[in-house]
Amino acid sequence: MIQNLIYSKTQHQNLVLSVLSLGLLLLAVFSLTVGAYPISFPNAVAVLLNQVGLVLGTFTVQESNVLLQIRFPRILLAMLVGGGLGVSGAALQGLFRNPLVEPGLIGVSSGGALFAVIFIVFGASFPWLTNLFGNFSLPLFAFIGGLINVMLVYEMANYGGKTDISLLILAGVALTALSSALIGLAIFYADEAALRNFTFWSLGDVGGANWDKVKIAILLILAPSFWIMFQYRNLNALSLGENEAFHMGVDVQRVKYIVLFMSALVVGVGVSMTGTIGFVGLIVPHLIRLSFGADHRLVLPGAFLLGACLLNASDLLARTIVMPAELPIGIITAIIGSPFFIWLIINVKKIRT
Amino acid sequence: MLEAKNIHFCIKNKPIVDQVNIQLNPGELTVLLGPNGAGKSTLFRLLSGELLCKHGAVKYNGLPISSLKPKELAHLRAVMPQHSTMTFPFKAIEVVELGLSLSNKKYPPNTVEEVMKATHTWHLKDQLFGDLSGGEKQRVQLARVLAQIWEINSFPRYLLLDEPTSSMDIAQQHHILQIMGQLKNRNIGILAILHDLNLAANYADNAVLLKNGSILKQGAIRDVMTPENLEKVFDYPIQVETEGPTAPIYISSLPSTKIRSQNYNFKFA
Repeated sequence: MIQNLIYSKTQHQNLVLSVLSLGLLLLAVFSLTVGAYPISFPNAVAVLLNQVGLVLGTFTVQESNVLLQIRFPRILLAMLVGGGLGVSGAALQGLFRNPLVEPGLIGVSSGGALFAVIFIVFGASFPWLTNLFGNFSLPLFAFIGGLINVMLVYEMANYGGKTDISLLILAGVALTALSSALIGLAIFYADEAALRNFTFWSLGDVGGANWDKVKIAILLILAPSFWIMFQYRNLNALSLGENEAFHMGVDVQRVKYIVLFMSALVVGVGVSMTGTIGFVGLIVPHLIRLSFGADHRLVLPGAFLLGACLLNASDLLARTIVMPAELPIGIITAIIGSPFFIWLIINVKKIRT
Repeated sequence: MLEAKNIHFCIKNKPIVDQVNIQLNPGELTVLLGPNGAGKSTLFRLLSGELLCKHGAVKYNGLPISSLKPKELAHLRAVMPQHSTMTFPFKAIEVVELGLSLSNKKYPPNTVEEVMKATHTWHLKDQLFGDLSGGEKQRVQLARVLAQIWEINSFPRYLLLDEPTSSMDIAQQHHILQIMGQLKNRNIGILAILHDLNLAANYADNAVLLKNGSILKQGAIRDVMTPENLEKVFDYPIQVETEGPTAPIYISSLPSTKIRSQNYNFKFA
């Protein structure tokens, strides 16, 4: 009977993940057809099939260009960044053993943004950096910034294997404030060209997507996200406490470093490409937990898929509400996210069983 | 054999555990007794590997604890701390499954059912852990800990319990200690911190009396749990009665007013 039960639980989890994947796929296809330049569904499919060598139906060159050069990479980037925010939010919540943790709230995003700005403003003075890392320089810089902040927050808020929530929030506030101040300082010293670059970046959102960015995102967001997902057993054990996880055979220090490092990478790279997008990493893991339980085997990949859906849907709204202009995507996620966060604060005692 | 030799642990130059030697044999239940602040929990954490001692050595089956990886250690011993809280809404059965998920991928499929039935928690399996009562939580945690070493193995293993029955009712307390008795047959050595002296005296094989970080007395239960030793360790008169070497042991203590009232006259100003 128990065998049956475990079997059906795994099956149930796989079913949920399949449904989420299917939803994401449908949303992506739908997003391809909607926008300032509408493309009919059969034509969109025809363009995509043409890319893999299948000739089916007709389409114009313009349709093909809009779809392949603008819309498709944009949708992929929104998915990757959203998924990365979702899974890193879920993993950080698991590691800190706290449901209020969010990459934006604890300073990971602002650290990433600070280092991205430092690179944009002062990067030109260090040409060897760009020569060495090419397109990866900006994302790598943002990653370092995110990593510094997440390590600092962890050290400040952690004692005796437990995370103190008030210290955590305060540390996040302090680091975010410091990062914003330093961003201001960097901009103060920026020259004309750097200032223009910075403006483009800060307004960037997913509208600035291109295939180069998508390739980097696949390497530096998707791959680490998978690595995080494979930590599900360890994160399950950690939800009982660090000592208990150690008793059960978890190398706690190693898991800690993997999760902090990979989350900083995922969030930092995302920030370097789209600017700071808040609340995805907070809402998404909760929706999954509330609906399907707390087992990280489901929560981690589920948060990735739902995060991808949420950011894609937000982007769809952002670029259609005031068509042909676009709203920054962060506005949409904040409008959805802030009320949810308030609800969460009010109900946190019930959730923290 | 789980063995600690000359272990020493200081916090801010104040010794919490001072030159302790202790031996835990497979197939025996040893209780660790002592007043509050005697260093029981620190000793317990040193033995479990959670803390590493600066001097002395802890050895599991002859292997020094510092040479064992967390996973290898988890095969050799299971630990139940005093309090465990769950952050996220896990079901009771999922908590028990945690005990299995890490140490071993393949395990007999009915292990979870067996340990949950043994701890009387099978009927709680689909409830959220956070909704359970204190005693129920403790039993679910015990089921998780038991699951980790439930599978029968050839090498000796150890179970460390820090006040495992503190929130349980009297019937459950006896039930849990009976389970411990059965575990001894599985080549498992058990160390438990207990506060109930009657439970300790009637179920354990050995006792260790700890006071101010040092061992006052250790050995077979009937040699150690004498009125003199107990009074020395707890600073309070304790009566021990038994009618023979195999008869039950009754341990009692009376309110101080009835035995030496003159020493305890508080002045209420």
